[in-house]
Amino acid sequence: MAQSANDRRRINGPEESFTPVFDDEDEDIKLKMQRSRAPGDIRPIFLQPGLISQANGSAYIETEKTKIACAVYGPRQSKTTTYSEKGRLNVEVKFTPFSCTRRRAPMRDAEDRSIGVSIHQAIVSSIRLELFPKSTIDVFITIIENDGIEGCIASGSLAASTALADAGIEMLGLVASCSAAIVGDVIQLDPSEAEARASSGTVILACMPALNSITSLWQSGQMTTSMSLKCMEQCHERCIDIHSIVAQSLLEHRRTD
Amino acid sequence: MVSDILLPGQSVSLARGPAPKLGGGLYLKDGQVRASLVGVAQYEGSTLAISHVRSHPPAANSVVLGTVTRLSPLQAMVSISVVDGIPLPAGEEFNGVIRTQDVRATEKDKVKIGDCFRGGDVVKGVVISLGDARSYYITTARNDLGVIFATSEAGASMDAVSWQEMRCPKTGRIEKRKCAKPESHTL
Repeated sequence: MAQSANDRRRINGPEESFTPVFDDEDEDIKLKMQRSRAPGDIRPIFLQPGLISQANGSAYIETEKTKIACAVYGPRQSKTTTYSEKGRLNVEVKFTPFSCTRRRAPMRDAEDRSIGVSIHQAIVSSIRLELFPKSTIDVFITIIENDGIEGCIASGSLAASTALADAGIEMLGLVASCSAAIVGDVIQLDPSEAEARASSGTVILACMPALNSITSLWQSGQMTTSMSLKCMEQCHERCIDIHSIVAQSLLEHRRTD
Repeated sequence: MVSDILLPGQSVSLARGPAPKLGGGLYLKDGQVRASLVGVAQYEGSTLAISHVRSHPPAANSVVLGTVTRLSPLQAMVSISVVDGIPLPAGEEFNGVIRTQDVRATEKDKVKIGDCFRGGDVVKGVVISLGDARSYYITTARNDLGVIFATSEAGASMDAVSWQEMRCPKTGRIEKRKCAKPESHTL
């Protein structure tokens, strides 16, 4: 007697089964085809200093889907007992639970720390730390909406530099930062999360246009040396434009103060 | 002379040949004077500087106001709350220490800390040096430095009678403190 597929003692599943359909693949392919802006265009930046009144200095930056708030406290007494001739810079990054497409637990993990390290490297050489012995400058960055890690690091560095200038901390110059992603042969500036995922490699450049010096350069993924050099050049050109945006927002804020 | 607001990294255009003495908020790099703060560069006497309206940590020769927090036979620990006339944000005080040899200029070895300061006194001092990792070294060895405000044992705020004594207005009792000479304000 043929065993019936219908087992009355158990809960039976459906007789026919289908493989699940993933939406992401379709999206990536679509984005590889079209990007709403030109490869050399960055997303419009909104930068406002001085929004957090209880901090010594603060800045809020918004570029389409990346929203970051930065608060600077200090220079204040170092809590550690080691004597240091130069001041210390402490950068702490925190993602809000609603910032990413998947809810993030409020606890700090490795990704927060790595973004903190990148932003620290981008701004530390622009601050005159030798003027603040035994003091610490605390920079707290809160990512309210996240559209790609590269965008977070670039916008976070901009916000941190603006907040430091707003706090009246002596700096050698303002830091501007820009990211680029390589999709095929095209260099796309300021990639969003989907664009960065679809790319083969990314470059994040932070520099001080006033002094014509680069403070930090991160490259990840796969690209030839010549492509990474081209990315750097394009980022550097764009940083000069971004620097004027930062300068304008600081001047307007100071004039209305 | 620029009257525009300068940004960090922006070069300062100077009219005359030799570079003036630079004060706070400006630095010299590769022969070019640049700003390091957001502000207007102004001449204060012969030095060119951008004024610092924000609070800053104490440096050598800063005039500080602080509250005495602890006393020991060798030093008085002070919590610095005002630096160069600019109050620090609440909760961000710096720690300072007044050693017995820095309390006054005369008879330095015969100082009794209990006769100079008490806990809760507001003291005006000058920073001598950065000190050690935990505190700045402060001196009160000048006529205009020392206790400017103190509460007596009876709870009233005392007035300075001489550089060594303060009087409680409620009970009339004299308590010993190292007082600062009151500043003569022109009203």
